[in-house]
This record gives sequence, structure tokens and C-alpha cells, in this order.
Amino acid sequence: MAEWTPDEVLDARGLSCPMPVLKTKKALKNLKPGQILEIQGTDPGTRNDLPAFAERSGDEFLGEEQRDGYMSFFVKKG
Amino acid sequence: MAESVLVDRFKQGYQAVFERNWPFWVGGVLLAFLGTLALAWGRPWGVAGGLRVWGDWFFYAIGLYEQAPGFSLFLSEPAVLTWGLLFGAFASALLSRQFSIQMAPNWELLKGFAGGILMGVGSVMSGGCNVGGFYTALAAGSISGFAMMVGLLLGALIGLKYLMWEMENVTVKPLKEKPASSGGVDWKKIQPWLGALCFLALILWAYGLSFQAYTEVGVLLLLGAAIGLVIQRVRFCFVRAFRDPFMTGEAVATRAVALSVMISFVGFMMIKWAGLQPEMTYVYHHWIGGLVGGAVFGVGMLLSGGCGSGSVWRAGEGQIKLIIAVIMFALSNSLFKHYIFTNQAAQAWGQPYFLPHAMGYFWAIILVCLVMTVWWAVMAWNEETDKLTMV
Repeated sequence: MAEWTPDEVLDARGLSCPMPVLKTKKALKNLKPGQILEIQGTDPGTRNDLPAFAERSGDEFLGEEQRDGYMSFFVKKG
Repeated sequence: MAESVLVDRFKQGYQAVFERNWPFWVGGVLLAFLGTLALAWGRPWGVAGGLRVWGDWFFYAIGLYEQAPGFSLFLSEPAVLTWGLLFGAFASALLSRQFSIQMAPNWELLKGFAGGILMGVGSVMSGGCNVGGFYTALAAGSISGFAMMVGLLLGALIGLKYLMWEMENVTVKPLKEKPASSGGVDWKKIQPWLGALCFLALILWAYGLSFQAYTEVGVLLLLGAAIGLVIQRVRFCFVRAFRDPFMTGEAVATRAVALSVMISFVGFMMIKWAGLQPEMTYVYHHWIGGLVGGAVFGVGMLLSGGCGSGSVWRAGEGQIKLIIAVIMFALSNSLFKHYIFTNQAAQAWGQPYFLPHAMGYFWAIILVCLVMTVWWAVMAWNEETDKLTMV
């Protein structure tokens, strides 16, 4: 079961760099501080890119979960 | 008991190399080192040249070109450098358990298609892709390297503007991806063994070449494979150096590329000054070619999400969008060079220019280091202030 309950889900499966990060940046703009965004992706690079992005943008990278055929990442808006 | 410690240590080492990605700057240093070695050995690193050889042979095979291409598909230097990059990245992806055939939404595939064509055409004008036209050309002291850098920055800005427009105005249908069925085989467990097998095959290929008196080509194949390994483990990406400061503000890639150019420039100048390689090696194309080609290439790399090297290693990882980009890059580059921007046409744009001929080796090194430092400093300043960040 998911450790985090997302307020919003972004489906970035099948998208490659830089679209997952770009879409995350846009999706976070529409959230309130403290809300959680789940990003679903299949690009191996996203695993490095999202934590680095969150650290810079002042948001909090909560963690990742392996799903059936894709990864889910959780970011809390700061 | 001692054995299990050994196995344990080996596992830890394996994880350090193939589980986690290497830091970006490590990639910059290693690529500079490998690139300089390649120049000392015979031919500096480039990607587009190899792709063109593939394209040339394709059009020759289907009867469009009458004459056989001047470069052999498997025995020529430019071709094996890119084969090495592709198979090295493929093997590295397997060893890291990161290989998987990845489908993308149709719209993304279309972007790979268009991006590949733009990169193919742009790289003909600039004399190489991001690597051959900017990175290696600049290291080799070609003024066109500076010009392409400006062009790439311009192209990256235009491309990013497009991506932002696309996010607002184009609805890309998400991919309904079914989990890949592995047919009962634990695919993840087999991958590292296949990767090791692939590296072994590369070594045997090079060994075989040396028996045919193609030792020089064989070593370049291995250097290409080593570059493929490094680049996949780092996920080194020249596009990021140009794009990310304007996108997320991040300058990690910019720092690594700037550092890498400085190191390889000094290495290249040592080799050229000592006369180990001719001064004009990899110095070609006028600055207009670099500027225009760089801008066209820059838009293309933003669309496809990988430059020359970046598209090839991601293709080696199994990403369908980048496989399409690589194929279109090879085909369009070959056609554009064959019919439109022939060597004569390139000459009409002006003469190649070697930086140390204008100012001597000493000042050339100072100038290149200065430009790289300024690039890095501006992007590092932006990392703090986000003044240039557009998204």
C-alpha cells in the first residue's frame, strides 16, 4: 500500500527526459504548500532528476515506490 | 568464510559501479580523458560521423547512391566510434539492469522523428553533433566550436520555448502501458550476465580486428565502448548543459561540460603542439556553419531530448523515441551532406580556423578557459537567482 496519499497524480509514463521534470514543475505550481504530488514515470533518469529538482525548488522529495511496470515518485510542495 | 567476504566485497563494488549513477563531474573528467586518448591514438571522439556512415551505407544498399561510401561500415574509424558508443551503452544498461524496450506516446515519437532530422541537418552544417561540432571541435581549437556553442544556446532557448508552448496547448494522450510480460524468466537477473557477454563480444571484436591489421580501428572501438559505459552510468547529457539552466535553473551539467572542455582543450593542445597529430585535425568549418548548424541542432536536441551522443546511449537503453531519433539523424545527415551541403558548399561558407594560429597556444588556452569559466559562472549565478530561468 502507498505510504503517501497524493492530492494530485501526474501520469508521465512513457515520457523521456526532460518532460517528466518539466511537467512536475508545472503541476506543482497548481498545488498548495503541503500538498503531495505523485509522479508516475518509466524513464530511468527521473529517479535522479526529481530529487535533485525538488532540492533546488524548495519542495520535498518524499520517496519512490516500484509499481507494476513503472515507478511512482512523491513530492511534497514546499 | 574468507570466500563469502570476497563475494560480499565484490557485490558492494558492483553496486557502487552499476547500481548508483556516477556524479556528473566524474563523467566530465573521464570523457575529457577518453577523448584525449582517442585523439592521441588516431581520431578524436565524434558521433555524427559514424551515424553518417550508417546512413550512407543504407542509401547505397537501396540503390540511391551510386558509389560505395568512402568509409567502411565496420572497419572505419568514425563508424566504430559510434558502434562502440551504442554497444557500450547497451552493455552498460544491461549491467545496471536498466535496459528495457520503452514505448512512448505517438506525439513523443513524432518529436523524436523531427528532432532527429533537425539534428542530422544541423550537424552537417556545423561539422558534427554536440560532440564533434562543439565539444571536440572546441577542444581541437576550431573557432567553429565557439560558434556552435552560441548556436546551441540559441537553439536550446527556441526549443525550450516550444516545449513550454506544447505543455499548454498540446494534450498528449498518456501511454496505456501494460506491464511487460517476461515469459516466466527473471529478466532483471539475466541482464548483468548479458551485459558482461556484450562487453566480452566487443573485446573479441577488437581482438579480431587486430588480427586483420586493423588494430588502430579496434582500439577506437574499445574507446567508444568505454565512452558508452561512462556516459550511460553518469547519464551524461550535453543537452542538459545548455537547457537546464533555463528550465530548472540547475547548472550541474553546465559545470561538468565546461570543466570537461577545459581539460580536453589542454590535452588536445599538448598533443597538437608536440606534433603527435596535425594541428588542423578536427579543425574545420567556418563559424557561420557552426552558428546556423548549432541553432538548428539545438532545436532538434530539445525536441528529441538527446543530442548526438545522448540519443545514441538512450537508444542503447531501449528507448523507442531515441531509436527513431538516431535513425532519422543518420538518414537526414547522409542525404543533406550528399545532395545539398557537400564539401564544396561547405567551403563556400569560409575557411577553417585554428585558434592558436591567431594568438599562440598560451593565449588560446587562456581564452578557452576564460570562456568556459564565464559560461559556468553565469549559470552558477543563475542557479542562485533564477534570473534566466524561463519555465
